[in-house]
Amino acid sequence: MMEAVSLVGQLSGRAGALMNSSEELIARARRGEDEAFRLIFDRYGRPIISFIYDMVGRRDLAEELAQETFVRAYKNLKALRDDSKLSTWLFGIAKNVARESLRYKHRETDKVAIDDDRVIELSDGKLPPDRQLLDKELNGVIRDALGALDEDKRLVFTLKIFQQRSYEEIAEITGSSIPKLKTDLHRARAEMRRRIQPYLGASFGS
Amino acid sequence: MKCEECQTLIEEYVDGGPHKIGQKAGALVNAHVAACSQCASFREGLIREQAIYARYERDVEVTPMLWSSIEARIKTERAAKPAGLFSRLREQMLGMFAAPRLSPAVAFALVLIAIAVTVIVMTRLNPGGREVAKNNSNVAVPEAGGSSGNRNPGSPFAGSGEIAKTESPTVAPPNQVKVSAPRKAPATTAPTPAQLVREAEQKYVTAIAMLSRDVNRKRSQLDPMMLARFDSALGDIDRTIKDTRRVVRENPEDPIALQYLLAAYSKKVDVLRGMSASTD
Repeated sequence: MMEAVSLVGQLSGRAGALMNSSEELIARARRGEDEAFRLIFDRYGRPIISFIYDMVGRRDLAEELAQETFVRAYKNLKALRDDSKLSTWLFGIAKNVARESLRYKHRETDKVAIDDDRVIELSDGKLPPDRQLLDKELNGVIRDALGALDEDKRLVFTLKIFQQRSYEEIAEITGSSIPKLKTDLHRARAEMRRRIQPYLGASFGS
Repeated sequence: MKCEECQTLIEEYVDGGPHKIGQKAGALVNAHVAACSQCASFREGLIREQAIYARYERDVEVTPMLWSSIEARIKTERAAKPAGLFSRLREQMLGMFAAPRLSPAVAFALVLIAIAVTVIVMTRLNPGGREVAKNNSNVAVPEAGGSSGNRNPGSPFAGSGEIAKTESPTVAPPNQVKVSAPRKAPATTAPTPAQLVREAEQKYVTAIAMLSRDVNRKRSQLDPMMLARFDSALGDIDRTIKDTRRVVRENPEDPIALQYLLAAYSKKVDVLRGMSASTD
């Protein structure tokens, strides 16, 4: 098996970059070329599944919802009016899919569950405040903090901070006004900050 | 300028760059920050915060399984339109494979079918190469210096990253394989190698999905160390599958790439079966 793994790099060397434009891919996919839709998935699969994961907090559910997102996108490709906004459109579908799932889940709990290897106690005093923030513990803290945000704040925070979307794009994706987005983001930031405070140093946000 | 107003502008600046707040407001913010330690601290903290979020890593991957599932659903959707006999049969088959729970025995049977299809595929890919067919009887990725000796010791590919077309004596180079060469038999409806590979791949994917479900149910029974090792191996294999798939997409008739893709699936089935068996 290790040999198989070692082959990967060599095989990867043969794989060229995918140079097609989104508009071209959409046109081909609309004509029924499955390969074109596959390339769309290759291009946007990772950001979409990351976004959904940030929204729902569970890996297995994120995969399931990403699947649903791309199937809906495929079925509704003709409804995409501006081909240059494929990415925004996909995020919009993903947002709807994630929200539907969250509404269903909210019947059971008010908070997004977070999976597995999890969260540390922030107050245990064992972590030095200036510790490097790349470790799993901090990832767990961020996931937990995200899960504790309400849905609107989590949505805007994820799109703005993690997906680097502009306010205009987020407004298109969410249907919210830009002032509301700014307010939600400001509050989301403050809540997140409280949770990651021990990692930021004592002087911040006082 | 009040601190609250200044901090809002600092956030906008960090979010959208200087053009978001304009030159005039930018100058005001700078002047305020220079005189206000609290806002200066806020700005530094915000930048550190951004750095933390930029490094955030999620435990989520785009697996080859994800695309396979999407593709299968798209095909189902498409097949739902015509209501011919073939379509109905196909849907029934898909429905059977999508059944939420099938026993590992059924999964194993599917794997055997997939292996048989693989052997056929490889035989077709290399019409004169009996040795390939023989060596494919154990579809697994060849071990370095393995007893079958069908490859050079070490990598079967050239160091440059290109597949070595002449190094492997028993696998015909891609440019010599007449994948679509007409056969003597009329066989006008015979599936192409690419179709056979796709069929084999689907069977592997189905088997893997079933085994994965079985393994997921048993995860808590596995020794954590062993589980970690299994998960690591699965991660490696998933990456292999992803990359080989990419190569196959670019070179759909490259027999070596196809062989390695199916071998990687086979290996994943082996690992999942190992995981499942270790809890029995």
